[in-house]
Amino acid sequence: MTIQQVLFIVIALAVLGAAIFVVTTRNLFRAALMMIAAFFGIAGLFVLLDAGLFAVAQVLIYIGAISILVIFAVMLTRGMQGMVPRNSQATAAAVTVAVVFAVLLLLFGPLRLTLDLARWPVISLFAANVSPRDVGGIEWTPPGQAIPAVPDTYIADFGRSLVDLNQYLLPFLLIAFLVDVVLAGAIFIARQRRPAEIVEDRQRQAEEETEEAEAMRRAGVLPGAASLPEGAVASASDH
Amino acid sequence: MNVINDLLKIIGDFIAGIINSIFSFSPFLADVVTMGLAAVILCTFAALSFMGLTYVERKVVARIQDRVGPNQAGPLGLLQPLADGIKMFTKEDTTPAAADRWVYNLAPLVIAVFALTTYAVLPFAPGVVGTNLNVGVFYIIAIGSGSIVAIIMAGWGSNNKYALLGAFRTVAQLVGYEVPMLLNVLPVVMIAGSMGLTDIITQQTTLNGNPGIPFIVFFPLSALVFLISGIAETARSPFDLLEAESEIVAGFHVEYSGMKFALFFLGEYVNALAVAFVFSTLFLGGYAGPVLPPYIWLLLKAAAVFFVFMWLRGTLPRIRVDQMHNMNWKFLVPVSIVHLVVVMALMKLFVTNPAQVQANGGILVTPGVQAAILFTASIAILIGSLVIAARRARIMRLQEEAVLEQRRAENIAAVSV
Amino acid sequence: MQNVLNGIPLWWYLVVSSALFCIGLYGTLARKNAIALLMGVELMLNAANINLIAFWRYLAPASSGGLAFAAFVLVIAAAEAAVGLALIISIYRTTRSIDPEKLDRMKL
Repeated sequence: MTIQQVLFIVIALAVLGAAIFVVTTRNLFRAALMMIAAFFGIAGLFVLLDAGLFAVAQVLIYIGAISILVIFAVMLTRGMQGMVPRNSQATAAAVTVAVVFAVLLLLFGPLRLTLDLARWPVISLFAANVSPRDVGGIEWTPPGQAIPAVPDTYIADFGRSLVDLNQYLLPFLLIAFLVDVVLAGAIFIARQRRPAEIVEDRQRQAEEETEEAEAMRRAGVLPGAASLPEGAVASASDH
Repeated sequence: MNVINDLLKIIGDFIAGIINSIFSFSPFLADVVTMGLAAVILCTFAALSFMGLTYVERKVVARIQDRVGPNQAGPLGLLQPLADGIKMFTKEDTTPAAADRWVYNLAPLVIAVFALTTYAVLPFAPGVVGTNLNVGVFYIIAIGSGSIVAIIMAGWGSNNKYALLGAFRTVAQLVGYEVPMLLNVLPVVMIAGSMGLTDIITQQTTLNGNPGIPFIVFFPLSALVFLISGIAETARSPFDLLEAESEIVAGFHVEYSGMKFALFFLGEYVNALAVAFVFSTLFLGGYAGPVLPPYIWLLLKAAAVFFVFMWLRGTLPRIRVDQMHNMNWKFLVPVSIVHLVVVMALMKLFVTNPAQVQANGGILVTPGVQAAILFTASIAILIGSLVIAARRARIMRLQEEAVLEQRRAENIAAVSV
Repeated sequence: MQNVLNGIPLWWYLVVSSALFCIGLYGTLARKNAIALLMGVELMLNAANINLIAFWRYLAPASSGGLAFAAFVLVIAAAEAAVGLALIISIYRTTRSIDPEKLDRMKL
């Protein structure tokens, strides 16, 4: 057994254990902390995969940014602490997830070797041991062959591929645009509105509803009862 | 081989040789033991420098504020750190009754670990580095963001309003100041063509080993903003809002005592020292320097940067929360982005590498000329942004004064009626 | 016939990422708190990232396709967390609840 195997097993078990804790615990703050532990373990898996850049990016983005956001949200919604962790469809969800996992295991797991799923009609399209050659002009390492080392310049190559028109420039620009939109959108949504603004909003809403009811009454949809529009206004300002 | 210059490397090779001969049956085990030993040495270095720094800082700040500072324990108060350590060890270790025990007890450990892991990639002399990571700069910033988690854990786990408020402030501050920090590391990474710290130092030395032009000459604005955001990242004065005694008692570590508090303290100092080391590596040429051995140069440079930290701490008052955020989001970040874009364009236009000229075009210049051009651009952006900010501030001040004046007039009118 | 690197076959990574994906899926389907639900989504995105990088390393380390898409997933995850949490906080402010089962009205 090589040291990498031992490391892999330890990290994988830690990640999965932390993930299970995340989805089952009642204490949301601890769930967020365990999520951080899982992210850290995944960064470890990236190191095992010789992708140091992504291990560091994982720590910076997932732990330094996303987890902090999640913890902030947990703190800001403290009233929701300690509620029942499962909703009414938990059993159905568990069954669904078990089925999905079984299918994934059949596709990727060790069993596919004995069952030889690659020969099965539909699954063969998705099975992992079908080696697609020359897909998208990329050279694949066929199964059983020695895997070449990662080139030293992989970070520079990755950076160049992001600004190469023939590679990933378009998705890169799209993602950049998306981040811009998201930045503005998140600020707009989470902005704390001043009470005066809220009152103004409600007033405008009530006026609109009155006008609507007026128009309907004039058009003869509603019989000329004046009490109805008032009722509509009252219910609108209830919210 | 110059014995004095390569002292650290010779000692390291000697120890590694001994370990290799002991564990000759398994090179893997030898590697593990060597790495473990290196980690222990680095951590000891960090912890010892923490002890020294507390003493030096107290003395320096005392001198600035016209006091004497610690002078009772030992000659010149030199044993003060030891006395502090004994006090910390023997203090009662308390846990609040309503605390989240696991989170509360884990937080100091996490902060110390994150602070110490930074030292794994710092090059102390040629060939003397924990691990020469090719994403070193990125790694240091990522690890720095990890300590935010520990602070949140402390703030939440203590189950104390002041601690939670302190944690909230910290997160807003640390997450915010990460942005200018990253934006100002980028020019250095671009001109060095690498994120590895060793490569960055190599770029600041000439081919025959003499010190070349340090990057602070290329990007003085970047150096300044990096220094400011570095101080904010390590939450030192004047950015120590998270432990403002007069506002929120002691912030996130208000419930901690004894050794746990000492670990927070250690994390703070070790982080600050790491920022000083990183600053001297990125902008001052790291261990490169004439006459003196490289490790002495690095320590001297880091000490000089740390002295600036102490100086600021001794002289500047704590800034307000809104001022801190305004300065970050309305000044440092926009200026850094403008600087980054300008510097990018200039570096594409004036290149030093002949091969690059043939590939992409551009004007071939010597490094000195390139440095002069970038320096001028950087300073111009700095002065321009300061002028704009000053004008804006003046307009706002005048408006405020006008409003006050009007109110005063109204009050006088009301009284006289 | 399989790809093995340092004694670790590719399918180990695939199984771990499948398991992580399923755990995340369970969290998304079965939790009663919108934030916990988002955590499940993050776990699923991470599982996808493990897959992308494992395939990159084992099948095509010379190209940067796997890395590029992993980077896009990272960015999308950050964007999704920002908008999702902003929505959750805004909903909590108006309704004092973030139970997805209770949020069945079309307006607040």
